[in-house]
Amino acid sequence: MRFAGNTLLTLVLIFLIGPFVIICIAGLSGGETLAFPPQGLSLRWVQRVFEIESFRSAFWLSISLAIGSTLLALILGIPAAYALDRYNPPMAETIRNIVTAPIIVPGIIVGLALLRHLVVPLGIPITLALIIGHTALLVPYAVRVVSASLINLRTDVEEAAVMLGATRLQSFFKVVLPNIRSGILAAFIIGFITSFNQVPISLFLTGPGITTLPIGMMFYMEFNFDPSVAALSGLLAIMSLAIVMLAEKLLGLSRYV
Amino acid sequence: MSDFLKLEKLTLNYGGPTPAVENLDFSMQASELVALLGPSGCGKTTTMRAIAGLMKPASGTIMLDNRDITRVPANKRGVGLVFQSYALFPHLSVFENVAFGLRLARVSSADIKRRVDAVLASVGLSHLADRQPRELSGGQQQRVALARSIVVEPKLLLLDEPLSNLDARLRLEMRSELSRLQDELGITMIYVTHDQAEALALADRIIVMREGRIEQSGTPEDIYERPVSIFVANFMGFENCFELTGGKLKGIAPAGFETGSAAGIAWRPHAVLLGQGAHKGTVVGASYLGQVVEYLLSTPLGDIKAEALASAPRHGMGEEIAFDLPQAGAVLLARR
Amino acid sequence: MFANRRLGILLLAPATLFVLVGFIIPVLILLAGAFRTGDAWSFANYTAFFSQPLNREVFLRTFRLGLIVTAVSAVLGYGVAMAVVEAGPKSKGRLVALLVLPLMISPVARTYAWLVILGRTGFVNVALTSIGLTDAPLRILFTETAVFIGLIQLFFPLMVLPLISSLENMPRDVVPAARVLGASWFAVFFKVILPLTREGLVVGGTLVFVGSLTAYVTPAILGGSKVLMLETLLYQRVSVANDFASAAVIAVILIVMSILTNILLKRLASVRRRR
Repeated sequence: MRFAGNTLLTLVLIFLIGPFVIICIAGLSGGETLAFPPQGLSLRWVQRVFEIESFRSAFWLSISLAIGSTLLALILGIPAAYALDRYNPPMAETIRNIVTAPIIVPGIIVGLALLRHLVVPLGIPITLALIIGHTALLVPYAVRVVSASLINLRTDVEEAAVMLGATRLQSFFKVVLPNIRSGILAAFIIGFITSFNQVPISLFLTGPGITTLPIGMMFYMEFNFDPSVAALSGLLAIMSLAIVMLAEKLLGLSRYV
Repeated sequence: MSDFLKLEKLTLNYGGPTPAVENLDFSMQASELVALLGPSGCGKTTTMRAIAGLMKPASGTIMLDNRDITRVPANKRGVGLVFQSYALFPHLSVFENVAFGLRLARVSSADIKRRVDAVLASVGLSHLADRQPRELSGGQQQRVALARSIVVEPKLLLLDEPLSNLDARLRLEMRSELSRLQDELGITMIYVTHDQAEALALADRIIVMREGRIEQSGTPEDIYERPVSIFVANFMGFENCFELTGGKLKGIAPAGFETGSAAGIAWRPHAVLLGQGAHKGTVVGASYLGQVVEYLLSTPLGDIKAEALASAPRHGMGEEIAFDLPQAGAVLLARR
Repeated sequence: MFANRRLGILLLAPATLFVLVGFIIPVLILLAGAFRTGDAWSFANYTAFFSQPLNREVFLRTFRLGLIVTAVSAVLGYGVAMAVVEAGPKSKGRLVALLVLPLMISPVARTYAWLVILGRTGFVNVALTSIGLTDAPLRILFTETAVFIGLIQLFFPLMVLPLISSLENMPRDVVPAARVLGASWFAVFFKVILPLTREGLVVGGTLVFVGSLTAYVTPAILGGSKVLMLETLLYQRVSVANDFASAAVIAVILIVMSILTNILLKRLASVRRRR
């Protein structure tokens, strides 16, 4: 029983992780076209990734978009989670449903809706629409993760701060915030990764010179069969691995997933 | 001398059909230690939270040191509160927990150091100043909570069941420590508890609460020796309480004992005389308590609890024995 | 602290307004478009959509793939989750991290790897031809099989993580207790483990099924225009034909299916629990 279970576990892990190993190797190919095993090993395609202008601009757009929309989602989500948990507001359930709704709507619909009914009629720039779409997607994560850490912080700790002379604002910044810090950090990391990897929302929200990295990769691979996308995929996989390992070390990210 | 703290017609409401506390009046002098005593749900904690400012009264006023504080926010009242759960700040060291209030008050850091060190020394925690709260035992956390509240020198210190999370030995130790601190500092304190032994040992005055009202208020001796009602008597260890209707209940009141208009009469277990007297009962339970044996008797008057010295001859289960409810140990109760 | 409703509303307003204006309203307008033909309200867009054999095929394929992926993930998921739980707390942390890892990596990178493995000159074909099993390279890419493989890899972690946590929350020693009472392994699984972990299964099942229904990257890269699913069809209708009516119809179908799945499975879990 145990042997069978472990064999299955090993096979599944190979199935889940193996492709990343393969893509890293494929990205080190010395040949002209994508193949596995690669024809010789070299760093030329890894180097090439950094030379392709569309990848570079897309990378910076994706990074700024991920950081910006995650921060915005936290700024909106932390007070909301706090109010939902502590102030017992009117229609709390309805509001919770509204702010967590973006998680159940397929991203492609969001992207199309923003393009057709926000960008076109109101004439707002594509980048702003990208920020709105990504932030809306991340607000539910921010609210959930922060709510979860607020539950672990008893309200009497805040009352204790007030009894020692703190205003409500002071008790929030001096007592609540420091104690939900790791939850906020977890929400930031999850938000960053979710936004950075997001495809469906960004799919319709592209314009001249405005393409997020995953979309740029998909456009590129439609017309190019060289190993540069493999090299880039390998780099992204390694970047994610580094973030996950750092997060796991800092705060045990697996608790929040 | 005017009252230091005065509650007038205080009514507190949690939104339920009946108010948690209704038309409460009481006052206390500076440096007094008053215990609010009662079973859970009697409104004692609610009253304390209203005094602290953590709860808005539906009506009534709270005066502290000749100032109406009914509408003053909790952080500006100069009232300290020690929480039942201690509510230490998990992210701050012991020193920083204690320094919290002083930092908010922008006390200079040299003064903070001096005052925090002094208060930690007085609760015996100087050696733990750099620890995190989670590394402390329950008793130590309790001392930090206490130190944190007294270092800001509140006009009034409220303690919410402060010893209920400690084991029996620590509870005794902390009880005498609280007594000592109160003597030394002379702080005015309100002590909320459901444990009558704690209230008796610590308080200058005890207020017994029941269903949002004051049942009896008086010195520990008053409450212990002269409970005014069956409710208080029960709470103070009078296990044998009887209602008297129309001032008389045939067969219970000792011959020639004038009960007047009393509504009840009560005896502690040790006041019941065993082996002689006009009443008879059957032993249905016996517990050896060390010095004494406590018997539970089934009698025509109802169940009676009686104590006898353990050195006296024992009575077996089912044995029928005579007992007496003597005038000497009886207490008359004015109300039900 | 006494509830301060005004402050509560003030704190909630930004997030609520943002999501309403920047998300819910545009999406609702889009969905409403599915019921408009010209200036009138109608279901004409639906009849038009489903009258096309290709659209029906895509609809059924999406549904079918979703079910298969969910079922296979569940079966594999139980095996893996039990092995992880049995591995003991120390290796558990590491195993969970390995299972979470794929979720953190760009789905484009994840799916692209399969292109390398399943392509004409990819790993599988090179292996097969070199041991002489086939002469010509097999066509695996742009088939339902390729999409299925990609989806399983993408969504398996979402099934196994809730299963692990519900297996861990099972009362201790129920399995040995059932064994001592004479239950076979088969009976232990169906009579003890399955009922006690139903909630994890429902959570995982919802995530995987809805995830597969609404997947875009995997069918786009591994299925191409040969194996369209609803999302890739939506993209194609808009980008190739400017056919916003069909796009809106697909959007309604996707949202209704996701919400229905969420409600149905949640109800299933709670009904069983009450019994």
